[in-house]
Amino acid sequence: MSANEPVSHLSEAELRAMTADLDAMHHDLTLPALKTSLAEWADDIRAQAAARRAENDERAERARVNRRRFLAGTGGVAGVALLAACSSSSSSSSSAVASSSAAASGSASASSSAMAGGFGQNLTGDLQVVAMAASLENSGIATYTAGIKAATAGKLGTVPPAIVTFAETAMSQHEDHQKAWNSVLTAGGKQPVTGVDPVVQPVINTAFAKVTTVGGLAALALMVENIAGETYQNGLSVISSAAGIKTAASIEPVEFQHAAILSFVLGKYPVPNAFTGVSLARPPSDYS
Amino acid sequence: MEIDESALRGLIEESQDTHADGVRAAREPLADMVDLGRQARAGASTDPDENRAFARGNRSRLAATARRAGGLLAGAGVVAAFADFIGGTAFASSGTDVQVLQTASSIEVLAISTYKTALTLPYIGGSAANPVIKAFATMTMSQHADHLAAFQSATTALGGKKQTKPDPAFVPVVFKAVTAITKATAADGALLVVGLALELENIAAETYVNNMSLLTSANAKKVTASIMGVEAQHVAILNAVQALLKAGAGADITLPPPAAKLPAAAGSVGFPNAFYPVSSAASATQGALA
Repeated sequence: MSANEPVSHLSEAELRAMTADLDAMHHDLTLPALKTSLAEWADDIRAQAAARRAENDERAERARVNRRRFLAGTGGVAGVALLAACSSSSSSSSSAVASSSAAASGSASASSSAMAGGFGQNLTGDLQVVAMAASLENSGIATYTAGIKAATAGKLGTVPPAIVTFAETAMSQHEDHQKAWNSVLTAGGKQPVTGVDPVVQPVINTAFAKVTTVGGLAALALMVENIAGETYQNGLSVISSAAGIKTAASIEPVEFQHAAILSFVLGKYPVPNAFTGVSLARPPSDYS
Repeated sequence: MEIDESALRGLIEESQDTHADGVRAAREPLADMVDLGRQARAGASTDPDENRAFARGNRSRLAATARRAGGLLAGAGVVAAFADFIGGTAFASSGTDVQVLQTASSIEVLAISTYKTALTLPYIGGSAANPVIKAFATMTMSQHADHLAAFQSATTALGGKKQTKPDPAFVPVVFKAVTAITKATAADGALLVVGLALELENIAAETYVNNMSLLTSANAKKVTASIMGVEAQHVAILNAVQALLKAGAGADITLPPPAAKLPAAAGSVGFPNAFYPVSSAASATQGALA
């Protein structure tokens, strides 16, 4: 608590120094904790995958043993006939495996094209949430990048320095978030998601084409921030790993902070709701 | 463009419409929790041994906190008012989720009382107040009351007892700050109030962020997740307000602010961390009840 500290007026330089101090504190305290959470989450995801593989192996082994018992329990002609049927079934099953291999290689080649940008990796569980989040961060980065470019080109009129700082800082934080999400994917042996959200991005593009003022850009950014915040809020009830929950919980409030400042700048009440909702949340199941 | 108080009230009313979606997000899990709570009470799902061990571990720490708090508060003659929540109450005989929710309630109680006290000051809630700061304090107090009700409902839904008292660990610190505020000039007092509110909001946000991975009930997680972002938003606005007050630019605290007049660094002062920290988080169970 610092309520007894003497009051002093701040200059721009002091304000910058204060921000730098907070930034240093962030790097000293927050990032090491985040790295630990990310590493633990990656371990959890690997453990979940191993458990799923073990479960599948066990199921296959049970099926094999059952079939052997069944065959051992039959005899004579019936047994020969069944054996023949099973061989044929086995060969059709081999064909099925081959087909599924073909399908797999087909889908692999399909996914090679779909995997441009990290999509189409057949993700499940926590990794679906992570992929969705990474793509939303990419859309956020793309929005701010386009906004800064338009401002620099003079397409938005005069842009106040504080707004430039906001856009640059928010974009940089989205880059940090994207790296965090993608580090979980790569640690889990998956490709990082470098593409934008395929559902949200067309909406952003259409809206951005009509933006001619700083206010218009702020309104668009507000929509993107709320979608991200609500998606992560929703993700918190889907993620199974405790370390994953820690990571998502450390990012969700930051997107809502961006939203609050954008609302303030737009002249809207900055904290309009006592509870943030999930009606704008993107469902993780969109990424499989 | 500056706006008057009635315009600001209009904006707040407008925001109440969008508030409905958020309320639904909290209400649905709460309704589910009522059912789960009934099941838990019927099946006695909490582990009494685990809870007793937890209680033993916390009792001595809390007793020390209570003694420290009692010492500070005695000087101001308000010990009696707080004695029932900092004096040797039996501790933590319920599940972790309930304890975490009770601690969250205790933080909300403290936040409500702090804003309520602040609004009695002429430069925060009176005629001398900046209308944006006054509206923010009023609305924020109301949002904390909503949070308290949600955490309390979640607690009782899980079979726990409603926490109605403030977090004992923070009471002496708040009291000390309030004492300093009452002795300060209006300009200094406003900055001290904002500083105190900022500390409490940050403790709330960090505590809830930290609690997310401790909660086991899906609905308790949903309720907490729908609140922590709001506390972080309070922090962002208070960070910006504090920076403007410190820069002697209190007149620029308007809705919207005069963006063209603001220094470049003002654009990022509201949200200094890419990842929300938890270093100021309260112990998840320090506000738990018997």
